[in-house]
Amino acid sequence: MFRKIAVAAGLMAAAIAGPAQAQDYPEKPIEFIVPWGPGGGSDTLMRIVAQGLADETGKAVPVINMPGVGGNVGLAEFAKRPADGYTVSQIHEGLLISNGTGITDLNWDSFMPIALVTSSPQYLTLSKNDNFSNFEEMVAYAKENPGAVRAGVTLAGVPHLHMAMIEDAFDIEFSYVGYEGTGQRIRALVGGNIDVAIGDVSSAGQFVENGDLVFAAVGMPERTEEAPDVPTFGELGHDLDLAVTRGVVLPKGTPQEIADALEAHLEKVMQREDVRSKVTNVGSAPMFLGQEEYKTYLGKLSDTVNRLVGKLEG
Amino acid sequence: MLDAFISGAHQVFAFDTLIYMLIGSIAGIVAAAIPGFTVTMAIILTLPLTFAMDPLQGVSVMLSVYVGGYTGGLISAALLGIPGTPSSVATTFDAYPMARGGEPGRALSLGVWSSFFGTVISTIVLIVAAPPLALLAVKLGPWEYFSLIVFALTIVASLVGNSLMRGLIAGVIGLGLATIGPDPMMGRPRLTFDSDLLMPGLPFLVVLIGIFAISQLMSEVEDHGKGKGSDALIPDVIEFKTWAVMREVLMRPVNLVRSSLIGVFIGALPGAGGSIANLLAYDQAKRGSKKPEEFGKGTPDGVIASEAGNSATAGGGLIPMIALGIPGSAVDAILMAALMVHGISVGPRLIMDNADLAYGMFVAMVVASLMMLVVCVLSMRLFLRVTDIPKQFIVPTVMICCVIGAFALNNRVTDLYLLGAIGLVGYGLKSLDYPLAPLVLGVILGPIAETNLRRALMSDADWTVFFTRPISAVLLAAALLSVIFSVRSVLKMRKKDRPATDEQDGD
Repeated sequence: MFRKIAVAAGLMAAAIAGPAQAQDYPEKPIEFIVPWGPGGGSDTLMRIVAQGLADETGKAVPVINMPGVGGNVGLAEFAKRPADGYTVSQIHEGLLISNGTGITDLNWDSFMPIALVTSSPQYLTLSKNDNFSNFEEMVAYAKENPGAVRAGVTLAGVPHLHMAMIEDAFDIEFSYVGYEGTGQRIRALVGGNIDVAIGDVSSAGQFVENGDLVFAAVGMPERTEEAPDVPTFGELGHDLDLAVTRGVVLPKGTPQEIADALEAHLEKVMQREDVRSKVTNVGSAPMFLGQEEYKTYLGKLSDTVNRLVGKLEG
Repeated sequence: MLDAFISGAHQVFAFDTLIYMLIGSIAGIVAAAIPGFTVTMAIILTLPLTFAMDPLQGVSVMLSVYVGGYTGGLISAALLGIPGTPSSVATTFDAYPMARGGEPGRALSLGVWSSFFGTVISTIVLIVAAPPLALLAVKLGPWEYFSLIVFALTIVASLVGNSLMRGLIAGVIGLGLATIGPDPMMGRPRLTFDSDLLMPGLPFLVVLIGIFAISQLMSEVEDHGKGKGSDALIPDVIEFKTWAVMREVLMRPVNLVRSSLIGVFIGALPGAGGSIANLLAYDQAKRGSKKPEEFGKGTPDGVIASEAGNSATAGGGLIPMIALGIPGSAVDAILMAALMVHGISVGPRLIMDNADLAYGMFVAMVVASLMMLVVCVLSMRLFLRVTDIPKQFIVPTVMICCVIGAFALNNRVTDLYLLGAIGLVGYGLKSLDYPLAPLVLGVILGPIAETNLRRALMSDADWTVFFTRPISAVLLAAALLSVIFSVRSVLKMRKKDRPATDEQDGD
């Protein structure tokens, strides 16, 4: 009940404050193209952000799902939209990989990156099996039996990149099995149809708690609050940053003032308590990197992708 | 357990929850009744509204949309011959002939009661056996999935209509259409000829709407003016016999329970869903029947099988979600997201950690199915009014709904061109007396079969695994038996040397 009042109060406050703002943007509803289907990670998170942006600006922010070809159909359509700030979209690591493997000509610099808003830490997750039960044992087993460890990934997708980064850093070799989405991979892992996969707290946390699965390592610079017992890759020998980060983008050529205004709004959105708690609840971390920092991040990521892209085309 | 049950029930039976659920139920039924509008769409629209509700209240509302949605598809299937949702394809086979034969009220009542009992049976299975069933479902690997789909493909034989050859050709066309677009494993384009139109592939729902709805609407236009009184789609004899029909449904316990269990089982397998369950249940009912020749002409058994089968997938889909936190379909994924937004982690510990929520969801399922029943029984007269509207109004209206629905699915304009093209193909095939259901079945099953075959061979390059894993072997044996059975019955039919009449076709 309290939450309802809070939300209603927020809406009212936003409605009153909206027209009084010095900046004119936004003057009308902003369309938010989510280039993925309903129910997935991007959809859930971006709906939370869109709702926050609507509360913040007092203008509606309808989410439009345009799934297809790993996000590329929606982004291709988005790239053709007028660059006036009234259509925004979202990208994550997948776009850089699709570009690297030649599925799309679009890349992160085909758009104006405005702000990185969420980051979901990814864990290397092991099934219950007779051959290994932690990271060191897994590496030892994989070195002795190259290709014997079956890794479930979205082929030529983000988890594939993450696995390739692990292979590269620890000098081991997996054999890959294609699955679509984290839910499918975790299911296969629990059922023992694969041996390792990339998972996150929201999809695999309870299985780990239950003893059905093991989080072997987390791809973050420091241990996470949700799973403090899980070592980082850095502690295990090689620093690896395995996160799925989602950021908001505008079409290229949008006026800089509008980009700045949107950036400022998003910064406030990501400070809102309701947005932060919802994002945390669905297993991700609220973050904010503005235009410049986000571009630097994407540039660095792009180098990693280009270095490992050969491994993803198999 | 009883505490949790009572606490859950207490929350569901709150006045405001019930009102929201009633609205949800109506919304689900209406959305599903409109060809081209899907349950997923209705639920995704409900999602932001539930952010402001308590977790159980929000989920209860979504469940009532869900349950209503599995029933609503029946209305357009029976009255217009167009499946309102993918899960009501098989409902058109018998409910539409029955409605055309002057018993639209009976067709609707049969479907509503079957849906109701289907949901209730699936909820009972859900309450009693969710954890073991979910564990079984999770153990199934790509081998079992592939073998299941091979078995499911054999039901084409039940859908072929007048000519086995034309039915098989239609099935192969469906399988072929499904290969257009990005391949399901690597996302590499296939048969797209570098065109933006074909790049995303042919979305299953666009094919469904094009094949069934557009072709059916064109036939309506074609039939226009043939004889008096054909202006309205259905003669205005309205007989519901609500209670008599309830007995009629209950007098067929074998069919009802078998179809519901098929629905539960298929629903519990993540990724399969209601669009297969109704066809599989129909096929089994036809094969189990003493009078298979009546199927497709308006037999109550066909309606019961399809509607009980598709409604039971609602409870079935919740099995892996509640027991393990693994969504069975897009709708279940949205339900999960709704819970997670409220900070409830959904996983194997849900029943232990949030028992009142899990039991509350069971109660909500039952309440939702009761609401669906009440809403349908009270509003059936209203729905039948649709049939009083002259064709020149209803055909364009439905056509517009189809186009809007096809667009809203992925918000892609190119889908509309595809819709038009597929509609023409469907109309052409229908005019040439090709059955349409095998085509749709091919489009549904093709990608699932391909994905799992490739996944199985990536996991283990050895082909014999398909025969050495017991469940996979049983399913393949069932497929073989199914083919033998079909060939035998075709030969028997030939012997009788009866010129095939309109035994059963895809409309």
